[in-house]
Amino acid sequence: MSGDTPTLLVVDDEERILSALRRSLRREGWCVLTASTPDEALRILDEQPVDAVLSDHKMPRMSGLEVLEAAARRRPNAARILISGWPDEIPAERLAALGVRALVPKPWDDAELKRILREALAARR
Amino acid sequence: MGRAREPVRIVVAEPSPRQGGGKLGTVEALRRIGRAVRIEVVHDAAAAIELARSSADLVVVDRDLGAEGERVLAALRRGGPPVVIVSPEATADVALEAFRSGAADYVTASADYAEVLPAVALEQIRAWRAASARRAVRQRIRSLERLHAAIVDHFPAALAVLDAEGRLVTGNPEFERAFLAGGAAEGRPLNAVLPAELLASADVPELLARARSGVACAPRIAHARDGEHARAFDVRAEKLDAEGRILLVLADVTERERLEKHVRDLRRYMESTIQNMYSGLIVVDEAGRVAVSNPMAEQILGEPPGSLKGRAVRDWFGPAAEPDGCIARSLAEGARVQGAEGVVQRADGKSVPVAISTSPLVDADGTRLGAVVLFPDVSELVQLQSQVLHTEKMASLGRLAAGVAHEINNPMGFVHANLAQMEEYLSDLARLLDAARSSPERFASLSRELDTETLLADFGQAIRESQEGSERIRHIVQDLRAFAYRDDGEWVAADLNRCLDSTAHIVWTMMKHSVVLQKEYAALPPVRCHPKQLEQVFMNLLVNAYQAIEARVARDGGGNGEIVLRTECRDDGVVIAVSDDGAGISAEHADRIFEPFFTTKEVGEGTGLGLSTSFEIVRRHGGTIRALPREGGGTTFEVSLPQHGPDGRAAQP
Repeated sequence: MSGDTPTLLVVDDEERILSALRRSLRREGWCVLTASTPDEALRILDEQPVDAVLSDHKMPRMSGLEVLEAAARRRPNAARILISGWPDEIPAERLAALGVRALVPKPWDDAELKRILREALAARR
Repeated sequence: MGRAREPVRIVVAEPSPRQGGGKLGTVEALRRIGRAVRIEVVHDAAAAIELARSSADLVVVDRDLGAEGERVLAALRRGGPPVVIVSPEATADVALEAFRSGAADYVTASADYAEVLPAVALEQIRAWRAASARRAVRQRIRSLERLHAAIVDHFPAALAVLDAEGRLVTGNPEFERAFLAGGAAEGRPLNAVLPAELLASADVPELLARARSGVACAPRIAHARDGEHARAFDVRAEKLDAEGRILLVLADVTERERLEKHVRDLRRYMESTIQNMYSGLIVVDEAGRVAVSNPMAEQILGEPPGSLKGRAVRDWFGPAAEPDGCIARSLAEGARVQGAEGVVQRADGKSVPVAISTSPLVDADGTRLGAVVLFPDVSELVQLQSQVLHTEKMASLGRLAAGVAHEINNPMGFVHANLAQMEEYLSDLARLLDAARSSPERFASLSRELDTETLLADFGQAIRESQEGSERIRHIVQDLRAFAYRDDGEWVAADLNRCLDSTAHIVWTMMKHSVVLQKEYAALPPVRCHPKQLEQVFMNLLVNAYQAIEARVARDGGGNGEIVLRTECRDDGVVIAVSDDGAGISAEHADRIFEPFFTTKEVGEGTGLGLSTSFEIVRRHGGTIRALPREGGGTTFEVSLPQHGPDGRAAQP
């Protein structure tokens, strides 16, 4: 946690998605970190604390659930949110076991995503 | 009788010429019988006997020949021409002895020797010739009787003689065997012997009445049951004599009737088959002209009924009737062809796809008479095949959909989010414009608050990235549309590297997360093909490879898979190979993978038509497809295609 500016790590293998989320959430007052591979995400998590992790699910080599699992070990206090084009395919019990706060369908509603992140942050403070 | 005209032959056996009382010798005396007398003089018994037996009419033996003369008499005593003894003395003892030893007469060489000897000789010759003629007639009668008996006994038909009252006089062995069962024939009325059914079915009483009155009648066929078996008889009747006796002939023609019926049935069966078969049939003579045709042939060829006979088949069949076509080869070489693809060109301008089968028509000696050409209309089949291809293609698309949806979903995601942001940017800019209209101070303060520089930069970026995203979606949709596009069925010369590559590009979207794609393309010549159909084959092979890799990962875990696309020139064609390091094909499935509807996938995941459709497409290109186990696990599917299409025609430029 870095003072008053909450930090969010966004993980997606699609650069343009990272770009859209960075622009949108920066206006909400988030410090947005981005990782386009799971490896990069884990490196960032090792280096610095974050308030929330937002990860895409379908990625090469490692799924979003696995990224969130790794995040839970490294930064247990960070809120974990999963985003996926096929939300129905993700087993609810795994989400619950990992303490995933929300499952956001892709394409996402920008306002809805912002609300989820606000609530996640409020719940942590 | 013929013999009467033959010259009279007399054999004279004497030791030396005998002179009679009138100074004439034996030979001179005999000459007086007439000019048609041949006289042969011998001096011993052997010569006399030999000549006598070679159809002599008379033998004159001089008593002076002594014992030799007696030998002649003894030899000719049974069966031979008459023997007359001539002698100088005329004692009763000598005459008696001569008669006793078998001589026909005895003449003394007295004064009237020259008158008596010819008279006696002539008398003996006449008697001998008359007896010979009677003997010949008797022999001839005996021989005719034997011949008649043999014919009647062995004649393969039942023969019976009936008296004027219609009672049996006699029957031959065949009649007894067939109708009498060992009983006697004589005296029994015909209706007590022959089955009533037989008599009635040919109206035999009426036939007999006609024969009795001397009217000639045609043979009739009678029927009778013999236990389980129906028998047929050819019945004839012939008047034999003035007493009204009649010869009745009953020939068993059951077998002949059966064969004739069989032939009639076969002919009817064949005729009805040919007339009603759902396929055109033409028999072509050696000159390539129609000899026989059925109604379906007229219908397919679009010609009026009964108008085909004598017309040349090349009027409709084009290449199939050309010198290297299947019809011509059947006529010229006796070739058999099954289901060759062909097209009928009709006079009304329509063309009909047909499957042509031809076989040579030969007679029993093996002489070629022409060819039989069968050509079912396969328009519906061609249409169905194209439908199946399209359906299968749509099914492949379904399998692709998940991957494609993922590929569309990402750009959709950020375009969608960007649009929401741009709405915010726009309302910020609107607020800024309002502020600018009211006062420069409010504009300056709001501009700082909103960080205008960043806002404009973000707005621009959002627009650019959204454009790029929508462009990506447009590309994906374009690829899919190109693949889904129905083939127009034309043969064209295509670059198969490009076909393979563009198909791999579509499939790639679904597998790029878990598969490494290797391309080993060789330079290929243009291949005559239906490119859309081959793209579908490549699609099926790529999707199968991907699914095999997924199956292996699901089973064993482990990292990414590898698919190798390899093309090469081989012989007179090209080879396209798709290799994967997936789960491989089990031995029990290896034989069945090209069968229609064979699938190892769950219900709903595959139609089971993918590989069989691929097999069919490749077959129609004149190529082959096979699955080989890949070293180290996995499978290689190898498609071999001829460069110039299935019929080997050179590719169009």
